[in-house]
This record gives sequence, C-alpha cells and structure tokens, in this order.
Amino acid sequence: MIDQLKIDFDKIIGSLELSIESIESRKKYFNQFAKNGFPNKRIEDWKFSDLNQIISSNIENLRFHNDSELSKIDETIFIDKFEHNKIVFLNGIISNIDFSQEDETKISLTEDLNQNENFKEVNPLVSLNNALTASYIRLTVKEDYSLNKPLIIYNITTRDLKSTALNLKTDIVLEKNSSLKVINLFDDNSENNFINIVQNFDIAKDAILKNYKIDHKKNSNIKYFYNNINLEKNSISENFIFSTGSKFIKNEINCNLNDEYSSAFINGILNLTNSQHHEIKTNINHLAENTKSYQLIKSVLNDNSKGIYQGKIYVDSQAQKTNGYQLSKALLLNENTEFDGKPELEIYADDVKCSHGATSGNLDEDAIFYLMSRGLSHQQSKELLINGFLLDAVEKITDIEIKNLIKDMIGITE
Amino acid sequence: MLQIKNLKAKIDNKEILKGLNLEIKPGEVHAIMGPNGSGKSTLSNVLSGKKGYTVSGDVTYLDENLLDLEIEERAHKGIFLAFQYPLEIPGVNTNIFLKTSLNAIKKAKGEKELDAIEFLKLVKQKASELKFDEKILSRQLNVGFSGGEKKKNEILQMSILNPKLSILDETDSGLDIDALKIVSEGVNALRSKESSFLIITHYQRLLEYIKPDFVHVLINGQIVKSGGSELALELESKGYESLS
Repeated sequence: MIDQLKIDFDKIIGSLELSIESIESRKKYFNQFAKNGFPNKRIEDWKFSDLNQIISSNIENLRFHNDSELSKIDETIFIDKFEHNKIVFLNGIISNIDFSQEDETKISLTEDLNQNENFKEVNPLVSLNNALTASYIRLTVKEDYSLNKPLIIYNITTRDLKSTALNLKTDIVLEKNSSLKVINLFDDNSENNFINIVQNFDIAKDAILKNYKIDHKKNSNIKYFYNNINLEKNSISENFIFSTGSKFIKNEINCNLNDEYSSAFINGILNLTNSQHHEIKTNINHLAENTKSYQLIKSVLNDNSKGIYQGKIYVDSQAQKTNGYQLSKALLLNENTEFDGKPELEIYADDVKCSHGATSGNLDEDAIFYLMSRGLSHQQSKELLINGFLLDAVEKITDIEIKNLIKDMIGITE
Repeated sequence: MLQIKNLKAKIDNKEILKGLNLEIKPGEVHAIMGPNGSGKSTLSNVLSGKKGYTVSGDVTYLDENLLDLEIEERAHKGIFLAFQYPLEIPGVNTNIFLKTSLNAIKKAKGEKELDAIEFLKLVKQKASELKFDEKILSRQLNVGFSGGEKKKNEILQMSILNPKLSILDETDSGLDIDALKIVSEGVNALRSKESSFLIITHYQRLLEYIKPDFVHVLINGQIVKSGGSELALELESKGYESLS
C-alpha cells in the first residue's frame, strides 16, 4: 500500500498549485502517516475499530489519487423540503457552490489550498488528510451575520468511483455574534471507497453553530469524519450525528471549550443493520470556567452490527463550575450484535458537576405485550418502541426543519 | 361469548390456574374476586395471550379456539385488557398510539381506517366523556401520568376501541373516589346487549358503581363459589377465609 501511496502522493502534489511551504508541510504529514499506516486496534482510540483491518478486508488495491472524469450532479438528490445554500463535493471535488440565499458581503469563501491551516498532528488520518487534501473550502461568516438559510454540504459519490481514498477538508469560521446551521449530507452511490473528511470550526464570542451530520443512504464505503470545534466566550455548538448508512463510519468530534460560558451539545443516533460498524468518539475539553457540555447517544443494533461510543470529558484545573454530562443507551435486538461503550472522565478541577451513564438491553417484552394487546402486530409494536427510543435523541435537535428531515429519514410519523 | 373449561396455566413449572371454569354470555358483567396470589392476573394475561404461560384446557371465544389466536388477533376480534399496571412507553405519543391501535383493529376487521381529522373528533368526544384532559393525549404514552390518569387512559382506549369482551384487571386499585366514579361511568356507558365484561378486583367498592350480574370467587386457581352481586357484599363482611 505504501508504494501506491507514494506514487499517488507525488501525482497529487504535481496536479495542485501549491506553495513550496505547503509542499514541505504536506511531505511532513505524509511521512507521519506512512510511518505507521492506517490505525489498528493496538492504538487505544482505535481498539474497537481496527481501521487497518477494515480497509484491507473491504477495499482491494486502494488508490489515493482520484483521476476519474468529473461526473454530472444528479440534482434530484438535493433536499427539496426547504431552501438552502449548497456546497457540493462530487467524488471529492468541489463542483457547486451556491450561496444565493445570502448577503454575499457577509460571507467569504476561499478554495485556495495554500491557505488551509493544517492542524498539528492529531492522529494518522488527519495527517493523511493534511498530506493528500485535493479539495478544500473555507467559509467565513462575518460578524453579526446569521445565514438566512441552512447550508448543506453534499458529499456525493457516483457509481464509477471504486477503491479510492478521498480526502476532503472544510474550515468554517464564525465571527463574533454570527450563526450558521450546517448539514453534512452523504449521498453514496459508490462502493468500497475510503472517505476521510476533516472539518474545523472556529466559533468566536457569542456565535452559534448548529452542526448536523447525516449518513443515511446504505452503502459499502468506509468513512472517517473528524470535527475539531473551537469555542470562544459565550458561544454554542450543537451537534447531531445521524449514523445509519455506511458499512463503516467513525465520527470523531474534538471540542475545545476555550472560554467562559461556552457550551457544546453532541447528540446522536446509531441505527445499524447487517454487518455495519459505526463509532462515535468525542473529546470534550473544558478549558475555562462555567463551561457546559451535554451528550446523548442512542443506538439500535440489528443483525450482527456493531456500535461504539467513546466519550471523553476532560476538565482542566482552570475549568471550575464545569457542567459535563453524557449518556449512552443501546438497544441490542439480536444476540449477534455488539455495543462497546467507553466513558472517560478526566477531571483536574474540584468544583465541577460531571456525570455519565450507559445502558444496553433488549426491547421490553411487557411493553410489546401491551401494544399488541391493542391490536398492533409484533413488527408494528417493535417499530413504535424503537422509534420512541430514538426520538428522545432526535428531539434534542433545535432546528425544526432539520429535525423533521431526520424524523422522515428514520420513518417517525406524527 | 366466552366459555372456559378446565383452564390450567403454569409459569416456571408452578401451576397457577388449576382447572378454571367460567361462561360469559353477551351483555353480561362478571366479577372475579379473590385474595392476592389466587391467579386473577394470570387469568387476564392468559385470556389476552401473554407469552410465558403453559396453558391447557379449552377456551372458546365467539366459536373460535381463543388459545390458538395471537395477542393482536384477540384484540382484532374484540378482546380488550385494561392493565393493572399500564406500561409507560417513552417516545410514543399517546394520540399516535391510539390512532395506530384503532386503525390496526379496523383494518383487521376490513373496516375503513380513520383519517387524522375523523380520529381527533372521536378522541375528543371520548376524552370529554371521561373528563380526561386532552392535553395529556399529546404526551408520551403513560409517561409521567399519575396512577389515576393511567387508569383513565385504559378506559379511554377501551371506549375508543369498543371491544366485545373487556377484561378489567384491578382497574380500581390506586383510584380515588372521583376517579373511580368517572372510570365506572365510562364502563357503564359501554354496557350493551352485545358487550360483556370480566371485572377482576380485590374489593367490593368498584362493584357498587358497576353492578355485576355474577360474582365468582377465585381461590388457589379455581372458582370456589359463584353467585349474584350480593356475594360481593358477603365477601366484604366475611373475608375470603370463610371460603377457603
């Protein structure tokens, strides 16, 4: 694999207009990744999801350079339930940007690859992304501006994309007192690819980010989706992960509560069938006083699927009056399913309120009896109970349109 | 309507019903009284089809072998169990549940299902008859309901589903006197030549409001005595001891 990687790396570097500094920096990240390759279960963060093994058993001859012809966008896949702004990644290439709903003086966009601020080394996949990013966009929302409509970032793949690694990167900057609702929506029509997305959010004082991630369409791709979120004073980040489409996806959110009264909410659903394997991994870093975090993850596992939630709350010695909470509930509908939960609290301050909880179990047979005694079939009763179980997390979504969109996708009727 | 012959039921190898006989004709109200552990709740569970029991004997309901029917088929054919402890179902809206239930039964009977507007009209009317605050119906099913609200909700379901045979499992337990009156009125409103009731209770109190045609005493898995409504009063004064 490393030989192919080296060839593709040179191709990518050759095909992009990069500054010398940028090339040097990419080489450094390339070497960091190449040293150990894809993470395996010997790395603590990956002990429940051996990505190296998952990739080698699902993707033959992985290529890192996408030289396929640019396809046409199938516009029927666009959400028609509400108006929205669009950024469209088609097979990893930005192919459409539409902010016609907005005051264009209040936002700025750049696709200049030399401007992407590389993260410091976080993990091998972020290094890989830093080295190979071929498509990049940075959106800045100016001070005091709230976008009129949500932004949907479409990640579309077409049928002709196979055994390819895509590395995409987005930076979103919310200036003071601005706000943005963003949905990352996957629409996979391809098979057996590796999609690696890194997104960074810088949220200034009093700004509000609502960040919804939807992986809905059944597909055999392997994905890693990394979010880094920096929060300044009195800012809010609300995140929701709807995870049900891919063969494998690991959603990782790293959230830095850098200043007072900032808060982070991460809620999500894993709804899995067959041999799907999904993970949510969070790191909430409480770095200042009076910061708040809340996490609720609900998982429904069918067949021989596997779900994982690793949630870490770190409280710095400076971060007195922290309020941190996390809860994970899983329904295991089949004895061949597996759920792994790893809550971690690392607390260095003494005046904090932190708690975590985790439950897993099967559907309540008495509840099924109750519903069936009212004429519902076993299947209907099960569905009602499962939807009810998931609804708890969905109800945390504060945007009504997006909440209804996700309810529709799950099949919750009202 | 319902003939029970030599009904035996075991759970975990423990025999709870030990040869029970009972016949209920259309329009009749039967009360079953008995001490704790006599098998009252087992009888209601077995009649409504709860899993986990090993059952023998004959139960004929409307000329069909009841024991062969699935839980939901019994509901489709008009059997309704008002639970002693109605379950809390988080995330399931009460109205949606009621509509799903009613339409499942209508569909099974080959009747036209109600649309949202027809359903709301029906539920509004039934709720007001039972002095049941409509707001409760937009809440999650039984979640955070008081004991009285849960029991009223059972009776509301019963009046919406309009069953042929209603089994009330200790519906009076945990009800204050006002709620008891409302619940009883709800039951009495459903009494007709076609519909029958099996009322399971510890106490005679409920029977002051819903006058039964027959009273049976269930002790140790068998009916040991049957009589008219006066038997309930006798039990109230003498207790079950005298019969066992």
